[in-house]
Order: sequence, then structure tokens, then C-alpha cells
Amino acid sequence: MEQTSGNDPLVEFIDVGVTKLSPAGAIMVILDRISFTAQQGQITGIIGASGSGKSTLIRLCNRLDDPSEGTILLNGQNIATIDPLLLRRKIAMVLQKPFMFEGTLLENLQRPFLFRNMAPPSAKSEEMARVLDLVQLPAEMLDRDARSLSGGEQQRVNLARALVNHPEVLLLDEPTSALDRPSTARLASTLSNICHNEHLAIIVVTHDLYLAEHIVNHLIYLEEGRIIEQGAGTQMLTMPQTTAFRNFLAQPERKQKSSS
Amino acid sequence: MNNLHIIPLNVIQLVSAYALILLSLALARLQHIGHEKQLLWSSMRMLFQLIAVGYLLHLVFAINSPLPVVLMLLAMAGFSLQVAGSRIKKRMPNFWRVVGSSIIIGCGGVTFYFCLLVVGYSPWFDPRYLIPLAGMIFGNAMNGASLAAERLSSEMHERREEIECALSLGATSRQSAQEAIRNAYSAALRPTINTMAATGIVALPGMMTGQILSGTEPIIAVRYQIAILCAITGAVAVTSFLIVQQGYRRFFTEAHQLKGE
Repeated sequence: MEQTSGNDPLVEFIDVGVTKLSPAGAIMVILDRISFTAQQGQITGIIGASGSGKSTLIRLCNRLDDPSEGTILLNGQNIATIDPLLLRRKIAMVLQKPFMFEGTLLENLQRPFLFRNMAPPSAKSEEMARVLDLVQLPAEMLDRDARSLSGGEQQRVNLARALVNHPEVLLLDEPTSALDRPSTARLASTLSNICHNEHLAIIVVTHDLYLAEHIVNHLIYLEEGRIIEQGAGTQMLTMPQTTAFRNFLAQPERKQKSSS
Repeated sequence: MNNLHIIPLNVIQLVSAYALILLSLALARLQHIGHEKQLLWSSMRMLFQLIAVGYLLHLVFAINSPLPVVLMLLAMAGFSLQVAGSRIKKRMPNFWRVVGSSIIIGCGGVTFYFCLLVVGYSPWFDPRYLIPLAGMIFGNAMNGASLAAERLSSEMHERREEIECALSLGATSRQSAQEAIRNAYSAALRPTINTMAATGIVALPGMMTGQILSGTEPIIAVRYQIAILCAITGAVAVTSFLIVQQGYRRFFTEAHQLKGE
């Protein structure tokens, strides 16, 4: 994949909005004037309760959906003008549920190459070694049936599969929702390593404070489709500026999770 | 060969046959199955529809000109399209346009090829050939069409995760829907494939039986049956192919996005 030179690869949201028609015909605002920047080599976290619009937001980045208004830039270029197939190689996405295609782990990792009509790298190739190393999966696992792997392992395959395209931006939608605490901690350190080694911009949607506390550089709090508060992660968590965010943090389920 | 006289069933004979429906009704009542009403209603429909179509065919045969034959075929196609559509609960976007155009091209093309080039009777509209042959082709293709359309919709619905996962990895809409397309096409062809394999062993096909009853030499009746099964398979294949190929696109935008439900 060609490397862009000059500007740091980054994603920029400028006044992005999404409206939908409800079944009754009323206009529903899903996202309202969203503006933020995700920098290269940084992890941007988007947190909020379910229904706050965070999943919709992340789906706009790789154009699984298009915004109703506003602009999203990748390296200063409007993503609406980029071929979606090329865009999705530059901006990889890890969906919430790790979907495994039928076949072995190796075949799952080879899929993205087949989509591009390219000869896939073999099990012994450097490329496979690189992605397996990034997500800490042993090479012996390559022959295993992907659907027989554990949830945590599937999540790693999911991540590795997104990385084979050498993306500039990595999107993750609720990556820890099916994971227990130790697996979450492992994933957090993996993401942190990937971000620094591969020099990616990572955008992660989560309702889990663990990721926000441990690896997120830039934190965005979303409520009912609006950004209520954004800033440096640790600072925001220790000194929330808005009542809304303070209330969100004070919810008992979150207190328990973050202290465990 | 056609010098055998077929017995023209008279009213008394028909009433005697209808006694068997009454017997079925009595058995249904005896078993407390509770579908007597349905049985009665269906048998009445069968009775009136067939008598009506009989007189209509009689008329069309008597006029012996292309217009009534073509109108009749169009009406048959319209009805079967409507039946196919009403059977499906979850219709794909642009259902009527996709299915309608596929049937017109698929069945129309195969019927044209089969009647004019394979059988090669003349004049081309001869209702004795065109109506039963086209009728069988359309009827079977319609079943295939509704299976293809229904299966495609349900596959696209059930495979949303898989499809969006593939799209996110840089797949085109076609690549991401590959499995759904394949399964829908295979589901549409399955009954025709099974029929071909079972025909002659499990059951004697209707057309062949009819021809034999009306005095056709069995060897010739069999040839017709082989030919029509080939035509049916071709029509089902072309129609279903067109439906899945046009159909899957309706679930995506130009930008390879899966449309919301």
C-alpha cells in the first residue's frame, strides 16, 4: 500500500450530523454537529451510553453509512470523494461481534487479499508473522477452524484481519463487550502497542471505562448524539467538567467495573 | 397414432368423480381435522376456474389468431407473478420490477427458443402448442423465482454481520453477498433438479400422462417430456439467475454500503 507523505494521517469530523426518519415519519437526530480530530499515533475514545449515537459515528468513518450533513476528512481529503473500497483499506474497522468466515484462521486472514483479487500471503510469509505478532496469536493456530476459537481469540483474529491491509486508521466498535477483565486488559495493551508500532490513528467506541482509563489519549463523551465533553483522557476522567459526564461516571455499574 | 378415441367425460361421470371430494370431506369430519371448509372452498375454486379456463381455451383455439393467445399468456404470467409475490412475506426492494423483468426475459427467451427453434411448429402462435408449453415454463419458473427472491431476502437479512464485516475489509458488494447469492440461486434450482432426478420413477409427469391418455404413443410422449423438462430447467435457471443478479444490488448503495432495513 502506498504511504501518504506530508501531513500526519488523521481523521477530522467537521459539523457532522445524521438524521433519520422514524417509522412514524418524524425526523430523528442521531448525531448533531459532531466535530473532532483523531491524530496519528493516538487513541481516540468515544464513550457514551447505548443509544448515544457512538456506533453510528464510527460507521461514518469507513463509509458503512454516510452523514446527512457535514464533512469527514482523511488526510485533508473529503472521504466522500474517495473510492469506498480504497477508503476501507486505509480505514480498517473491527466490528463489535467478531465474525469468522468459514474456514481456518489462515483463510480468514487471507480473505482481505482475495477481496482485492491479490494472491494471499502464505502461512510462512512475513506478512502473516507480522500480524500474528501484533495481536499475539501463535502461528500454530493458523490451521485451526476459526469458528472453534474462543471469544478472546476470535477478537484477536478480527483485529489481525483488519491489520493485513496496512491501514492508516483503525476503528473499533465496542471491542471489549464480549470480553472478561483479563482479556480486556490484554486487548488494551495490544491496541496500545499497535498504535505505537504501526503509527496508526485508532478510534475506539466503548462504554467500558477500562480502555478510557488505560489507553485512550483523547476522550469524547457523547450523549443523545451530541458531544458533551472532550479532552485528554485521564484529565477528563479525574476532573469531569460537565454534570452530564459526572453523572455518567457516577453510575454504579461503571464504578464497579473501573475499580475491579 | 391419434386414432384412439378418448372418452369425453360427461356430467354424470364428473359428478361421480366429485363424489370422491365428498368422501374426503366426510373423512375430514370423521377425524375432526377441521379443514372441511378449506377443502370445500378449494374444490369449488378448482371446479369453476377449470371450467372457465376450458371455455376460454375453447374460444382461443376457435379464433386461432395471435392476439388472444398472447393476451392469455400475459394474463397467466401476471397471475402467477401475483401469486409468487403474495407468497413472500419479506419482499426485496423493487421486488416487482426485479422479479417481473427477470421472468419476462428468462421465461420469454426460453419459451421463444423452445417453441420456435426446438419444436419448430407453425404458425408460431398455434395455441395447441404455445399455451401448454409456455404455461408449464412460466408456472415452473415462477416457483423458482419466488424461491430465489425469498431466499435472497432472508439470506441478506441473516447475513448482515457477515456482509458488513466483508465490506469493512474492502470487499465489493458482490463479494460480500457471495454466499447469499449462491444459496438463493441453489435454493431456486433445487426443486427442478430433484424433479428431474425423480421423474419417471417416483411419478409420471403430468404432461406425459396427458398425452398418453389422449392417444399419443408413449415413446413420443416421453420425448416431449424430456424436452419440456429441459426447457423448464433452462427457464428456472435463467429467471433465478437474473433475479439474484439484479436483486442483490438492490440491498446496496453505489458506494458498497448495505442499506438499512
